[in-house]
Amino acid sequence: MKTARILIAPLVCFLMIFSMTACKEKAPDSYVVGISQLVQHVALDAATKGFRDALEEKLGDKVTFTEKNAQGDIPTCTTIANSLVSSKVDLILANATPALQAAAAATADIPILGTSITEYGVALGLDDFDGTVGGNVSGTSDLAPLDQQAQMIKDLFPDAEKVGLLYCSAEANSLYQVNTVKGYLETLGYSCTLYPFSDSNDLAAIATTAANDSDVIYVPTDNTVASNTGIIDNICRPAKVPVIAGEKGICEGCGVATLSIDYYDLGYATGLMAYKILTGASDISEMPVEYAPNFEKMYNAEICEELSITVPEGYSPIEG
Amino acid sequence: MTLNPLDLIAQMPGALAQGLIWGIMAIGVYITYKILNIADLTVDGSLCTGGAVCVVMIMNGYGVTLSLVAAFAAGLITGLATGIFHVFFGISAILAGILTQLALWSVNLVIMGRANQSINVNNYDLLVSLRYLQEVMKGARPFYWSPIFVVGIFVLIIVAVLYWFFGTELGSSVRATGANANMARAQGINTDSNKILGLMLSNGMVALSGALLTQYQGFADINMGRGAIVIGLAAVIIGEILFFKFFKNFALRMLSVVLGAVIYFVVIQTVLWLNFDSNYLKLFSALVVAIFLAVPYWKKKFTPFSPKRKGDADCA
Amino acid sequence: MLDIQKITKIFNINTVNENVALNGLSLTLNDGDFVTVIGGNGSGKSTMLNVIAGVYTAEDGKIIIDGTDVTGLPEHKRAPFIGRVFQDPMMGTAASMEIEENLALAMRRGQRRGLGWGITQTERKKYFGLLKELGLGLEERLTSKVGLLSGGQRQAITLLMATMKKPKLLLLDEHTAALDPKTAAKVLELTEEIVSRDKLTTLMVTHNMKDAIAHGNRLIMLYKGRIVIDVEGEAKSKLTVEKLLKMFSDVSGSDEADDKLLLS
Repeated sequence: MKTARILIAPLVCFLMIFSMTACKEKAPDSYVVGISQLVQHVALDAATKGFRDALEEKLGDKVTFTEKNAQGDIPTCTTIANSLVSSKVDLILANATPALQAAAAATADIPILGTSITEYGVALGLDDFDGTVGGNVSGTSDLAPLDQQAQMIKDLFPDAEKVGLLYCSAEANSLYQVNTVKGYLETLGYSCTLYPFSDSNDLAAIATTAANDSDVIYVPTDNTVASNTGIIDNICRPAKVPVIAGEKGICEGCGVATLSIDYYDLGYATGLMAYKILTGASDISEMPVEYAPNFEKMYNAEICEELSITVPEGYSPIEG
Repeated sequence: MTLNPLDLIAQMPGALAQGLIWGIMAIGVYITYKILNIADLTVDGSLCTGGAVCVVMIMNGYGVTLSLVAAFAAGLITGLATGIFHVFFGISAILAGILTQLALWSVNLVIMGRANQSINVNNYDLLVSLRYLQEVMKGARPFYWSPIFVVGIFVLIIVAVLYWFFGTELGSSVRATGANANMARAQGINTDSNKILGLMLSNGMVALSGALLTQYQGFADINMGRGAIVIGLAAVIIGEILFFKFFKNFALRMLSVVLGAVIYFVVIQTVLWLNFDSNYLKLFSALVVAIFLAVPYWKKKFTPFSPKRKGDADCA
Repeated sequence: MLDIQKITKIFNINTVNENVALNGLSLTLNDGDFVTVIGGNGSGKSTMLNVIAGVYTAEDGKIIIDGTDVTGLPEHKRAPFIGRVFQDPMMGTAASMEIEENLALAMRRGQRRGLGWGITQTERKKYFGLLKELGLGLEERLTSKVGLLSGGQRQAITLLMATMKKPKLLLLDEHTAALDPKTAAKVLELTEEIVSRDKLTTLMVTHNMKDAIAHGNRLIMLYKGRIVIDVEGEAKSKLTVEKLLKMFSDVSGSDEADDKLLLS
């Protein structure tokens, strides 16, 4: 067995050297698209599905997907990026910020489209971000107009005084969203307090404090919140504190109303961008980041009814 | 989707590079776990601390070398904190590590200013990056830019320095503290201060690894250390079970631990390549590692008895 | 050399299991005294050694070694004055380290350990010589890990480590109790040799009355945390086991001599 072990070392070296020279055969006009997703939850899954549907509609059999999910593990994002780049895929979809960062670190050549990213400048350390990332990166942003979200609180709860902003301190984009919304809310005359929690373990305790001290609670598009809406609902509904959510999936779980973007639509729009890049119709370095095509004011009928909230005109109920 | 073995081979260099970087962290875990007999959970926090400090220094214009040194120093301080909790507050070692790791969550957030800080290889002169690996393979950069080469040199230097250190009087007394604390005290060794020294050294290694990792992956994230102790222990145990029988020399044993980390990441890379439903990623990784670890055990159990030597006792 | 003044050590104070192990015990040893210590189980023999060494802190009393008050010092700070051999052969050495490394650790007892190299070539020659004197063949195995050795060999090494630097006080806590009779005899022989050669002040706890009488110039017996018999010189050399047992029951007022005392 010792001899076997001694043989393994040069074998590995040989494989490594060989790998540097290996090429891949590929049928012309067919595309391999790699998908790197950070974690599983409703919004990210919807975006991926929208992306795949768009490309399948446009390219049919000519496109195959390699879909990998890091299961929330940061080092795995890098392993996945290495995997996709080494397999020389034609395009990478990076779903969520760490996935985008790992992919961008891995390659400057393969086009990378991000989705479910709120702020690209922040994610990629770009100081003068003007809407176009450049290089081999572009994508779609899930940033819903935060001023309109603040206005929604004003519309629904004009007499409220204290707004609690609940978010996960580990999420890159959440602090940015709550700070921006806080600014708008304070202009509208509310007094605001931030309630950061570090992960699902202390969410309950922080949410309880927030519910006790606030008239209304706001939660941004935050992956950890999205995975734990049940906890928030179980605290806020009995406390009769309404929750305004940053996106539809969260609103379904625990919110009263939301200015929703549809992650499926976002993913779909990303798919269309991918189609243009793959077929050479567009150059990724010149494509600006796109935003969600539609915003819709939506409300959660069940929770509204329980909290006796009358929903004004212009809101549609969340189905199912 | 058919599995292309050439793909797997092409992905190996990346796994190797990741494994080498985490191997430095595994050496840190080896110091506390095997030499001092302490299961030190601080590492989940100090990995990120090293990364955070490195990122902030690089972004503020300090060179990579200084940033790495600063990250190492930050790691020393985290080890000191755990040591103080353990020795002066009288808290058990595991709990002390957990407390420090808890505190580091806040500390790391403050250092970074945010939960996630990217460090774009386009903008800064990084020492290692996944990008460089690809470029070396394509021939766009000379081989000494390859993270495998750079981190490999790091590993060799670290192993050499630690081999020297643990051979000195002080280092020997640290080893004695872990081997038999009672005897160490009877020989006039201050076991308390040695434990603190060991914790500091270990977390310094871990933070250094975190700093390299941050550059390699292009960002520092508050969650990047989560589960790090598990990876570190897996690397140490894989290295121990597969190689310690052949490598009795201390330096070679440290290298085995690094090899253990490499094997771990090769396993993960392979499991990903196998394209199973991504829900099963962690289950399969655990199974593959478990099988690795079981092979030497099964070999012993199922091969017929044939004495090779008389009185061959393995006691370390 | 050693002055113990009214030491009291109580375990589990103020609980149901409260146990007064040492009860105002006082003892003075002169330079070069080789004192054997006997007593039944629970009489406080090991506790006395552990309190002297600093493993336990006494509730009351003082310990003075060669004029220095060590009562407040932690165990590792007292170690420069003291050499110890334990009952458990595993306790005195580091199994995972080599023989020469163990010896090197002992050599540096009482010194600041810096970044100098752990073992020098000159040292190795010295250890070779020292081990050769033991007559156990260990000098050929300097780089073997201690864990490979038998209990007797380990105790011999622990003894060597304890006496290499002529400690002011040598504490032997039933150091042959876990060994087979032949090895025990060998280790005792070594002990006698080293102690008389270096004129070490020694406290040797033993369960074996015959050994206690045969070795040393002074014998003390502990009972319930106090010294009840203290015999030295001429009187000690005339002792027999029967006389000792009688003295014991006279003093303790009972037939409480346990099996080990009777049968050894």
